[in-house]
Amino acid sequence: MKILLVDDEEEFVTTLAERLELRGIHALVATDGEAALDLIETDPPQIVILDVIMPGLGGLEVLKRIKAQSPQTPVILLTGRGSTKEGIEGMQLGAADYLMKPINIEELIKKIQVSIKNQA
Amino acid sequence: MNKWENKEVAFFGKITAGITHEMKNVLAIIRESSGLMEDIMSISPEAVISYQEKFQNSLVKIKNQIKRGVELTNRLNKFAHSSDEALSKIDLHETIEQLIAISQRFARLKNVVLKIAPPNQSVQPTTLVTRPVQLQMALFAAIECCLNAMTAGGIINIGLDKSKEKYAVRVICEGDLPGKSEFVDNLSAFEKWPVLQKIAAFLEGSVELDEFAHGIVLFLPEQLRS
Repeated sequence: MKILLVDDEEEFVTTLAERLELRGIHALVATDGEAALDLIETDPPQIVILDVIMPGLGGLEVLKRIKAQSPQTPVILLTGRGSTKEGIEGMQLGAADYLMKPINIEELIKKIQVSIKNQA
Repeated sequence: MNKWENKEVAFFGKITAGITHEMKNVLAIIRESSGLMEDIMSISPEAVISYQEKFQNSLVKIKNQIKRGVELTNRLNKFAHSSDEALSKIDLHETIEQLIAISQRFARLKNVVLKIAPPNQSVQPTTLVTRPVQLQMALFAAIECCLNAMTAGGIINIGLDKSKEKYAVRVICEGDLPGKSEFVDNLSAFEKWPVLQKIAAFLEGSVELDEFAHGIVLFLPEQLRS
């Protein structure tokens, strides 16, 4: 399985990628929206895990562009707020699901599997 | 509150909310890093065999503290966002629960435990349209008044009732308390008592001493007129 993790917190995203690799999931990493969109074009992942709050292109804007560029690719959002507001907003824009930070890796993997299955 | 005070509250709210987002990122990095250590230990336990127990104990402590940190950060984030709108529709039971969680430390310094009674079915739903910042100020002032009037130790129990279009928030002290008249004297002599009365009036409500118990009743309208 190949996924793309997008988050401007480099230490978070690279450590999470390492943990996913240990579980047999190949994780590409992008630390901003532009880099994520480039990677989706050059090395398409099966799913994108996308942080909502990022400098430059915000997560919801990146989500809109992913949906325009590659509508079949499921996106799971990572939200930082204590409430579910951003996650729900993201799902209205086409996100498959959302998780609140800090995440639980087993829950993330479960959501990845469900989203990919639902997309197939 | 005047326009300047509104802006000051909004400023503090915005900065605090921003910091809580950063704190969540810090906690997320700590969580993933300790998670990676756990993963490595589970696939190659021989690498740290002589310290395995110590490592595992430390990882459990880190996990527990991350959980505590996340809960506090979520509470602080919600508190900070309460200044987003000067007037909004809120859930009173949820607001009391939230305020209790962020005020526990102040109670703990006096060995007092803050508790909330489950909402009575007849009070459901517990929504009201009010000024969320001032409502929290009033609830906190009521807690402070009770903490000041009671001796160290005990419980402050907060319950919710509703009659017609008015909510009654009962802040009741329990435990080894002074006599009722001494309690009332302590309470009304405390500097926060007139503050609480003013905030209650600003919220188009009122505050009274509880007739039967050692405590305060805060009356709030379901909807502000102005």
